[in-house]
Amino acid sequence: MTNVSALYFDGKSSEGRDVTIGLDAQGVLRVSGAGIERGWPLAEVRASGRIGSSRRYLTFPDGSQCETGDNDGVDRMFAAQEPAASYLLSRLLQRWESGLGYVLVAVAITVAAAWAAIAWGIPALAKQVAFALPTATETLIGRDALGALDRFVLSPGRLPPERQDALRKLFAGMTTGVAGAGGYRLELRRGGRAGANALALPAGIIVMTDELVELSQDERELEAVLAHEIGHLRQRHILRHVLQDSVTALLIAVTVGDLTSLTSLAAAAPTLLLQAKFSRDFEREADDFALAYLARRGIPPEMFAAILQRMEEKRPGGKDAPDYLSTHPATRERIEHARRAR
Amino acid sequence: MEQTDAAPAAAVPLQFTGNAGEYFRIWIVNLCLSVLTLGIYSAWAKVRRKRYFYGSTLLEGSAFEYLGNPVAILKGRLIVVALFVAYSLLGGIHPLVQLALIISVLVILPWLVVNALKFNARNSMHRNVRFGFTSSKGEMSKFLVLPIFIVPLTLGLAYPYYLFRKRQFFLQHSAYGDRQFSFSATAGDYYIAAMKLSLAFVGFFIGSIVTLGIGLLPLYLLLRAYAEVAFARLAWRNTMLDAQFGEIRFDCGWTAGGLFKLYFVNSLAILVSFGLLVPWAAIRAARYKLERITLQSASGLGGFLAAQEQSVGAVGDEAGELLGFDFGL
Repeated sequence: MTNVSALYFDGKSSEGRDVTIGLDAQGVLRVSGAGIERGWPLAEVRASGRIGSSRRYLTFPDGSQCETGDNDGVDRMFAAQEPAASYLLSRLLQRWESGLGYVLVAVAITVAAAWAAIAWGIPALAKQVAFALPTATETLIGRDALGALDRFVLSPGRLPPERQDALRKLFAGMTTGVAGAGGYRLELRRGGRAGANALALPAGIIVMTDELVELSQDERELEAVLAHEIGHLRQRHILRHVLQDSVTALLIAVTVGDLTSLTSLAAAAPTLLLQAKFSRDFEREADDFALAYLARRGIPPEMFAAILQRMEEKRPGGKDAPDYLSTHPATRERIEHARRAR
Repeated sequence: MEQTDAAPAAAVPLQFTGNAGEYFRIWIVNLCLSVLTLGIYSAWAKVRRKRYFYGSTLLEGSAFEYLGNPVAILKGRLIVVALFVAYSLLGGIHPLVQLALIISVLVILPWLVVNALKFNARNSMHRNVRFGFTSSKGEMSKFLVLPIFIVPLTLGLAYPYYLFRKRQFFLQHSAYGDRQFSFSATAGDYYIAAMKLSLAFVGFFIGSIVTLGIGLLPLYLLLRAYAEVAFARLAWRNTMLDAQFGEIRFDCGWTAGGLFKLYFVNSLAILVSFGLLVPWAAIRAARYKLERITLQSASGLGGFLAAQEQSVGAVGDEAGELLGFDFGL
């Protein structure tokens, strides 16, 4: 049995003494050095788990301690002993960490599990939670959204009153009979910077801009756009978005928790891409809702495709950003999807 | 500090023996088990990570030891997560509910932070002697809750004073065994550092304009590095540990350029590797920061007495980290 050289600390003072540790034939651990000659049965000595090549500590019944860098030596001494449960776990982890093949398995499992959690797990969970919460939660979250939009972006709608009434009647016709859509209301505004646009706000409010109404060539095109927005509201997209974003951020914060705040910014960058993916998934869901609605009413899906096409042409900049960066799926893809829905 | 006389006041640097290959393996197994257990294992992962870093940090040939109990950390985490969830779900209901939540957080915050500091100190050991932290939550609220109102009221002018008091408070209540830490800086030192920082900010502002915004991000990193170095040096160089034969003093050799390079390369590596180089970055940061902390003592570090043992739960450990109450390594 080879000896292990270590530093001995009595626990009362920080002074260390060089010692040699050895295991004798009776299973007694002997610590010997200048002025120290002690021994304890191996079973009474607690060894800390091995972590990489960092230091190991042997703690003795009287609170004194030995520190050593000779990890293999400690393992050899304790090899014959029936290990405690915590020590066994630590040994198992250490085996896992030291085999390159096992480490690659860990990389694969982590990447797959993280991807599954982010792509399916968190969205599914958020969906469950969002539908379990009362509608009031969502209303409260977005209570001031319309007020803020009115102050900074939108101005009062300037369509002729009879046109406004006709649109509100159309909207009322769409929501009656749809379960849970009773409280939804349509707000007509001048879009200004927002241009030809429609959006759903959490309080069950759908905003449609005058510019969009002017852009449409058929009442049924507006019906298709409104159906898309009702789809957002019905499927609790805003609440789900908030839940998904915060849970993802929490998950990332926990996993890369050992970095300084500055460098963890770099680690958080992928969340932006994920948020964009969440948005696109919701757009597709709302599109599907709208297309199902159109099919029920016998309205050709071409109506939806046509208004999307015109909104796209009207948009400043015109060209789509690559799909993975965009919050909306590329419009061309959505148009094709609508046309296929026939 | 130049040592010109013959007194054997040796400057001993901390030594860091961790390496990226080894830590990568520990990190990925930690991450894998944390993900598979939906985050529950993360408490055990944290202990394993801290044990690795502590056990790889050597001072005069002897390493540090971390003794935190993962179950205690898990409990602490669950409480912090519960608070966070309660806040984000209930916070939107009514301004009054939100106000009530903020007030209750302000009330429990000092308790959380005191607990965190105690837990962290009690579970840090060097040469079989534990560190310690002693303070009450009443004292703590003076340093945590009051500044929340005072700093904005003075338009931030009180902030350097707050930083100074925070460090002073932390050190005056920290101990190694039965030996107390103390802090010799004055509020004036912090104001001088803040003044220099303001000048650096003007430089940053002009630089960003001159480079037509291209230099904004690198210059910002440089400014952050400069600020960190300025306050870290101030903090370390005025930290003292009362030893049996005269005091032990600390020095911090970080430079703004060195820290800038460290953060720049780390951020870039993490970005291009999709996070796989996080352990490499963590090891680099630890090596840079630790190996530039030096201790000066006339008598060596032996001969301290260990204080009495008592145990503290981990509740609040996370809150302490959020608020940056630590030795700042």
